[in-house]
Amino acid sequence: MTVPEVDSADIRRVIEYYYERGWTDGLPVMPVTQSYLEEFLAATPRDPDEVLVPLPHLNKNLTVRIAALNAALAGCLPSYLPVVIAAWDAFRLDGMVTRAIWQSTTGTAPFSVLYGPKRTELGFNARGNVWGSGFRANATIGRAIRLGAINGLGLKPHVFDQATQGNPAKYSCFIAENEEDSPWPSLAADHGVAPPDSAVTSTVIRSVLHVEARHTTVPEQLARDFADSFCRTGALVRPDAAGYVVLNPEHARLFDKHGWSKTDVRQAIADAGWRTYRDLAAAGKEAIAGGTGWRLPANHPDAIPQETPADLDAPVQLIKNIEAVQLVVAGAPNAGVSSIVETFSFADRPPPVVKVEEN
Amino acid sequence: MADGILLERAGIPSVSVCTTAFTISADAMARNLGFPGYQYVTLPHPVASRTEKEIDEMVRDALADILRVLGAGLTYREAR
Repeated sequence: MTVPEVDSADIRRVIEYYYERGWTDGLPVMPVTQSYLEEFLAATPRDPDEVLVPLPHLNKNLTVRIAALNAALAGCLPSYLPVVIAAWDAFRLDGMVTRAIWQSTTGTAPFSVLYGPKRTELGFNARGNVWGSGFRANATIGRAIRLGAINGLGLKPHVFDQATQGNPAKYSCFIAENEEDSPWPSLAADHGVAPPDSAVTSTVIRSVLHVEARHTTVPEQLARDFADSFCRTGALVRPDAAGYVVLNPEHARLFDKHGWSKTDVRQAIADAGWRTYRDLAAAGKEAIAGGTGWRLPANHPDAIPQETPADLDAPVQLIKNIEAVQLVVAGAPNAGVSSIVETFSFADRPPPVVKVEEN
Repeated sequence: MADGILLERAGIPSVSVCTTAFTISADAMARNLGFPGYQYVTLPHPVASRTEKEIDEMVRDALADILRVLGAGLTYREAR
């Protein structure tokens, strides 16, 4: 392998310069020149000055140019930019970023999913280790979003990003649906964007919860296992539970083998999405606050007055809408390991599905 | 913090209040809106886990400071 003749001290000097300016997520970033930025901007039909995400209360606008610059810093290739832009469009449409959710102590991370032929074209991993490291497209496009938030929207930790703990997905969290191993059409195809087009969904998340279910071949049991994980009391700051089920292909095929459609799976999880009043009260989350709408104990001064039910073991429904349960197939078809992505967006509507546009 | 600054700019006397856990963000917001050194009142952290009585006491303790920043020209005793 031949390498260009350049003094490595110069490269280090550039990398250290970016650190000094506070333009990184803690890891080194790629040096970016104006000519390299132009290569990115050539990959999109969008105007470089177009605002993708406005944050007027911070005097910030994330433009196409700033999104491209941060994609380059993140280690993306220029050909990745249309996916980065689609992801930002989806964050704007999702509506939580523009409501300043990334300033919140909750500490949500960006989460996006890619669907369609761009997955294979750009080398996205949708199979084994889908949440893990090792794949440039997943790693750098997810990182481009986080760097865009830090540098473009000014959301630096300890300053405007006031997350109490944040979560590990804040470094990078961008997966692809494993359409090849799924028995069903993709989430994007369900919403009208099917191959040859590609699409992205984005939302904000609090955690990725591991669900290990190698034990059963009964679809009802599997659905109950997911519902229980959705409805853990620690996640219930709001009245209801919501998220994505990221189903490995083995679990997806189990449901499909029993004739369950994707809607059937989502409905079964939603139907089983309840806990008893007794369970909620044991954690002090049986009532709802008048101002915030958050869960708290019934004897809290902010609690909306409510009758204690006669039967403490009667179900309290926590998943009230099938849209609160989105379903994506990803991972290797090799074991009963799936996950739930605990989202923090609107639970009563489908996710925004944004078509990837390229030059 | 932003609301307090924008209200002052609109000519409405106002005081921003935050707990000590948020002063870095508060100062950053003031700088961001072109008002470095903007005076606001800090309360002890936390709020969410205090009783109503403790919160009442906390606010009573802060009242003199709130009136000072408001520039109302009232003493604490007059305001009560």
